[in-house]
Amino acid sequence: MTQRVTGQRFRQRKLSTKQNLPVLRENEVEKLPDDDAQRHIPKVETGVEKGEEIEHHLQAVISASQAAATGGKVAQLYIPTPEAVASSLQYEQLYPRHFAQPATYIRFSSTVEDCVGCPYCMTSDDMLFLKEMNQRKGRTIQCTEDEFEEVMNFFEETAQTKQPYAAVDNPPVLSYEEIETEFDEAISESSRRFAKDIYEHWKNQRLLTSNRSLMPTLKFETNLETDDSDPYVCFRRREVRQVRKTRGRDAQVTEKLKKLRKELEEARYLMSRVKVREVMARDQLAIDRQIFEQRATVKEAKRKLGIKGDDEDLINQKPAPKPKPKVDSTAVQRGIPGMGPKPQLTRPDGRLLDSDLVSLQEQLAKKEEAINGFIEENLAKHQKWNQGWEDLTWRPITPPLEQAASRSTFRPVTCQQLPTPPASVSSENSGDNLNADQDMNKVEKQNRVVVRYASPPDDVPYPDQRRYRRRKGRGGRIMVDRRGVKRPCLEPIDERVLDRHKYSGDSSEDEQLYFVDPYDNLHIKYRMMIDRQGEKAQGIAQTRRSIGDSNHLHQNHNRSASGHLLPPSNAAG
Amino acid sequence: MAPRESSHEPTSTPDPVEKGFATLATLRIGVKAFVEKDGEKRKAEILSIQTRRGKPTFYVHYEEFNKRLDEWIPAERIDLSREVEWPAPEKLEKKKAASTVSKSQPSKAETSKVPKNLKRARSKLDREISATPEATSTNLPGKAARPSKASGKENKEHIALVSTEVTDDSTPKADDEEMDLVDVQDAAAAAKAAPPEIYSREDEIEKLRTSGSMTQNQTEISRVRNLDRVQMGQFEIEPWYFSPYPVDFTDAEMVYICEFCLGYFGDVTQFERHRTKCTLLHPPGNEIYRDDYVSFFEIDGRRQRTWCRNLCLLSKLFLDHKTLYYDVDPFLFYCMCTRDEHGFHLVGYFSKEKESAEGYNVACILTLPQYQRKGFGKLLIAFSYELSKREGKLGSPEKPLSDLGLLGYRAYWQETIVDILMDGRTEANVEDLGAMTAMTTTDVLHTLQNLNMLRYSKNQHVIVLTDAVVEQRERQKAKEKIKGRRIIDPDRLQWKPPVFTASSRTWNW
Repeated sequence: MTQRVTGQRFRQRKLSTKQNLPVLRENEVEKLPDDDAQRHIPKVETGVEKGEEIEHHLQAVISASQAAATGGKVAQLYIPTPEAVASSLQYEQLYPRHFAQPATYIRFSSTVEDCVGCPYCMTSDDMLFLKEMNQRKGRTIQCTEDEFEEVMNFFEETAQTKQPYAAVDNPPVLSYEEIETEFDEAISESSRRFAKDIYEHWKNQRLLTSNRSLMPTLKFETNLETDDSDPYVCFRRREVRQVRKTRGRDAQVTEKLKKLRKELEEARYLMSRVKVREVMARDQLAIDRQIFEQRATVKEAKRKLGIKGDDEDLINQKPAPKPKPKVDSTAVQRGIPGMGPKPQLTRPDGRLLDSDLVSLQEQLAKKEEAINGFIEENLAKHQKWNQGWEDLTWRPITPPLEQAASRSTFRPVTCQQLPTPPASVSSENSGDNLNADQDMNKVEKQNRVVVRYASPPDDVPYPDQRRYRRRKGRGGRIMVDRRGVKRPCLEPIDERVLDRHKYSGDSSEDEQLYFVDPYDNLHIKYRMMIDRQGEKAQGIAQTRRSIGDSNHLHQNHNRSASGHLLPPSNAAG
Repeated sequence: MAPRESSHEPTSTPDPVEKGFATLATLRIGVKAFVEKDGEKRKAEILSIQTRRGKPTFYVHYEEFNKRLDEWIPAERIDLSREVEWPAPEKLEKKKAASTVSKSQPSKAETSKVPKNLKRARSKLDREISATPEATSTNLPGKAARPSKASGKENKEHIALVSTEVTDDSTPKADDEEMDLVDVQDAAAAAKAAPPEIYSREDEIEKLRTSGSMTQNQTEISRVRNLDRVQMGQFEIEPWYFSPYPVDFTDAEMVYICEFCLGYFGDVTQFERHRTKCTLLHPPGNEIYRDDYVSFFEIDGRRQRTWCRNLCLLSKLFLDHKTLYYDVDPFLFYCMCTRDEHGFHLVGYFSKEKESAEGYNVACILTLPQYQRKGFGKLLIAFSYELSKREGKLGSPEKPLSDLGLLGYRAYWQETIVDILMDGRTEANVEDLGAMTAMTTTDVLHTLQNLNMLRYSKNQHVIVLTDAVVEQRERQKAKEKIKGRRIIDPDRLQWKPPVFTASSRTWNW
């Protein structure tokens, strides 16, 4: 590229951009400008397009400044440009002085669309039309410019959404009916009044522009072949770039966005419903107020006319007290002489007057009834299911419900268990008995059977058998031990009293109690087996049983009877 | 095609050109005639013909003048007493060129040879593309009869570079010294080694899709201006170039642009109505810089799509190479405003890619014409470098630069570098200079070289602060003393480089 200059004594080194170069004044360098030196520095491009680089004015200015840089005196030159002159428009009116600069830097994110209000702007034709229309309308109904623009804008937008491809397929102008169905909150009530009138004008304007948008718009891509060659088509979308490996994640992101969007939509919908509700509430308040005022008027009128009104009327004007709906309705039915049917057939809370109040007690009773019914029904069902089956799960964890049902057929039995072979029956025995079962005697004296037996019968479930034992304590006290007594609670049981004994026993809650029927065949067999093993073992068993029994009696008698015998489990049998 | 091919030799027309006398009736598109311009006759090519008020008017491009000086002229200004050049007959594509354009600018094609078939393909594309605007503005019977296309501009009569005969009358004068504004356009890769003209249209569009805001494409930049006048704020401005505002505005005498939202209106009533409703008083983004003279706003093209589109449409009126082919999403816009009680007046802006593969720190940069020659361009450029310093990167404007852009940048670079070299140091190296100023090494070299400051002395390269450069700087400083110096104060910049995630890149910003 650069030719070696033959006269050069030294090879020039290439210019290094990293190396420090001495900075000199002109007088410190040899005067001889070395033309060749420049050649060894790569020529840097100006960056102007070649074709334009040669332009007359640019070259003139460049050469002038070069001349200046090399010491020549040249007048400052400019590249001529088309002129910009002061405008004759009334700037002060168009751009009023109402800007106050904030102390801090402005931060702002609203878009142009947020800031320009209604995007449709009236043309002079619109002005003329509006003037005419308003003249026709008369003084009371005048359409403002803002309303006019709102309507026009609504037409334009509706046309745009209904005929998005108008530019391509030339559909006819939308009919008024089609537009009318689209009326929504985008167009205010006040503007709607003029929609019909303005429609004709809008339609005419649309026809003039062959049904294109009235506000000039940019041309965007239509995906037609002609797009690429049309210089007016601008701001094309850049196609989304090649999908990368992160696709999965991107898809996830999209999903999230979609979900977010959906949720936002839902929230928005909720809000709009809330809005509707609040608007209705407001309307209702207004109506209530109107009712109230009219009632006040009635009152006033009655007073004036000297009609002796019931004070009820006055009372009615306040929210009716809830427990007295009947009063309300009768008052209403009675009405006021001279008046038409009263408008207040509803209470202020909106319910009909004669709709009965529901009382809490009734509701509760009903509920209870339903619950009881349900329980009874299930009970019956269970009994039915169990028919013909033998319950080998003798004591399910949940106490069997049958017990309750069987209560009615219960035959109270006063039994005396004789710890030893029966001796003589002393008269006190029966007396004791009576004392013990006094309350039962009163109720079911007739049915009472006194049975005396040494061991409980097999066929009666063990817990239901009542057993008594009399023994003597220290100091000659006579104690009667009871077992299996279920006394119907005729007298109110004080919870606190019951509670008092809750923890008085020596069995802790942690200790598991096994319900065992010592007289069950199984157990008897078991004991017999033990018997055979030896007298000693039997003796122990006996002792334990008696301890268990007495032990139990000192416990809360509400508990099911139980012994502390450690038995083979039923399941084992 | 032929003339273009040969045009790399500007001072001669090797191909025979058909010349002859013309009458008003025989003038057609593509004809080059002498036209009176500012008191002298210049050769100009007719790009379009229209009948206005019964008289034919001609849209002409003056050779060797920037396209921004193209204009509509009445027939009287055409000198029919001299011979005109007829457009070269189109051999290949005559039939397709039913409604045709016109000129394609002297382009890079002039300096390098390109295989014929490639060029052909391109010029065909050019024509098809540029034909459209033409169709809306010209509708002459004569045209269809002799479809023609001048595929190239000839560069006869190339003017010697040294002339200082610039006609200054048309130049609004202002304080000198301050740089002119500056529109830099960028077309990615323009300055790259590969000759740009081998880009196919498809290549270019792909390039534009992934980065950059500007075009190399001749057809893109050789359209007839579509707007006559623009009203904005307190000014009426004459547009310089074509901009894809709505087609309807082609007929409008004046297009009104709202100073704050940059919305556009073809009807003054509409504009006035709009002004009663528009509440915007400043660019719709965050203010990131404020001193007692100007403020800067940062606007995200994706979030403020409408505003940024409006801004691009507006700036396209003054930036030849700017393309609006793709949307504004991948750019940030830094807008400079002055303030008063009316609000923030947009003075200029530059756009910047959110992520530039080429390391550009500016895509497009523009001072609005009504504010040019007041030193705003230098502030814009200084601000763009201030952002690069904050990012810890070196930056350079996207290429190609426009003529005004080149001058503006050169003036800024010169001042910046000379100031550093004059602080008394005895040594400097190019990379450090770049690091201190956030300028690329290439730009530093460019500046030193251009000012003749890089020399070879005593067996080594030296940087010479020439007397002329020093004197120029002293004069400038004296002037600044009187008028005050406008600079960007880094302490007032409240800005962190915005961070964009991989997914925002994937999802179109």
